Amino acid sequence: MNGIDCAKVRDCLPDFESGRIENHESVTIESHLLSCEDCQSELELIQMLRDGSPAVPVLLADQIENAVSSSRRPWNRSRWGPSVWGLPAAAVVVALVVGVGVSRDRSEVIQDVVFDFGVDADPGELWLSDDSFLAGDLWIENLSNETLMELLVELEGEGAAR
Amino acid sequence: MRDSLRGSREISDDKLVEQACFGDGRAFGILVRRHHASAYRVALSITRQEDIAQDVVQDAFIKAFRALGGFRGDSSFRTWMMTVTANEARATLRKRGRWSESSIEDVGTLESRAPDPAEQAVERKESERARKMLDTLPEKQRLAISARIDEGLSFREIGTLIGSSEGAARVNYFHGIRRLRELME
Repeated sequence: MNGIDCAKVRDCLPDFESGRIENHESVTIESHLLSCEDCQSELELIQMLRDGSPAVPVLLADQIENAVSSSRRPWNRSRWGPSVWGLPAAAVVVALVVGVGVSRDRSEVIQDVVFDFGVDADPGELWLSDDSFLAGDLWIENLSNETLMELLVELEGEGAAR
Repeated sequence: MRDSLRGSREISDDKLVEQACFGDGRAFGILVRRHHASAYRVALSITRQEDIAQDVVQDAFIKAFRALGGFRGDSSFRTWMMTVTANEARATLRKRGRWSESSIEDVGTLESRAPDPAEQAVERKESERARKMLDTLPEKQRLAISARIDEGLSFREIGTLIGSSEGAARVNYFHGIRRLRELME
C-alpha cells in the first residue's frame, strides 16, 4: 500500500496528473503508483483524457465579448429600481402558475413521465449498471449517506468511505 | 487601460464581479477571458457539438452578465459560470429536441456507437479514442469526469455543477471512470 490506499490515490489522481497537489503528497502517490498497476492504469486514462481535451476556438472570447457588449446592460434598469409594472406582472404570473397547477389533471401528469418499466424518472438521469440493472441519479439522490458510502467503496475500493 | 484593470491577473474574480456589477464592461471582459474555456468545455461535454457549444457559451455569458447582480458568491464565479453554461446547454438541447441523446436508449446502444476497427486505425491517438468513449457516457458522468480532469473542480463543486450532492458527484465520476476503463480495454 505504500502508506496510502488506492481510494485516496484515485481521489487525487487528476490533481496529481496536472501538478495541482503539494510536493510531499506527490511523492507519496508516486511511490504508490510504482507498485499499483490498477492506479497506474487509471492515471494513464486520465492522461489520455487530458491530452484529448477539446481545443477552444481561438476567437471565442472575442465573440463572447462582442455579444455581451451589444446586449442590454443590466445597470441601466437597476438604477431606476423595480418597474411600476413589476408587481402586477408578478401577480399575473403567480395566478397563472397556480391556476394551471390546480386545473391540470394529475393522473395525466404522472402518465407523462412513467416509463414502461414503471419508474417515475427523467430518462436523461438513467443508465444501465454493469449488471444490466437500471441505475441513475434518481436512485443515487435518494440513497442514505451510509448507502452512498457503500456504493463508493464498491466503485473506488476499500478506504473510500472516510 | 484604466488603472483599475492594470495587472488584471492580480485582480480576484470577486473584485471583477463587483466592478462589472457597477457597469464596468472591461471587468466582465476579463472574466470572459479567464473562464470562457472552462465554460466551452462544459457546453461541449453536454451538447457534443462544437457549433452548438459555441452558441451556448455566448448565450450563457450574456445571461450571466445580465444576472450578475444575483450572483451571491456562494460558490466561485467560475463554478457559477459553469453551472449557468450547463443549464443553458440543457435548455438549448431541449429547444432543439435533442435532449433525448442522453436517454437510456443511448446507453443501451453503447457498443454500436464505438468506432469500428477501420475508424480506430485512423484515430491513431488513444486520447482521441478516450474522448470519444467519454462522449458515450450519460451526461452527468461525462460532465463529472470533464469537470474533474479538465477543470480540476472538487467533488463539491461538481455537485453544484450537475445539481447533485457531493457524494453523488463522486459516484458519477468513479462510475464513469470505471466504465471508460472497461471500454478502453
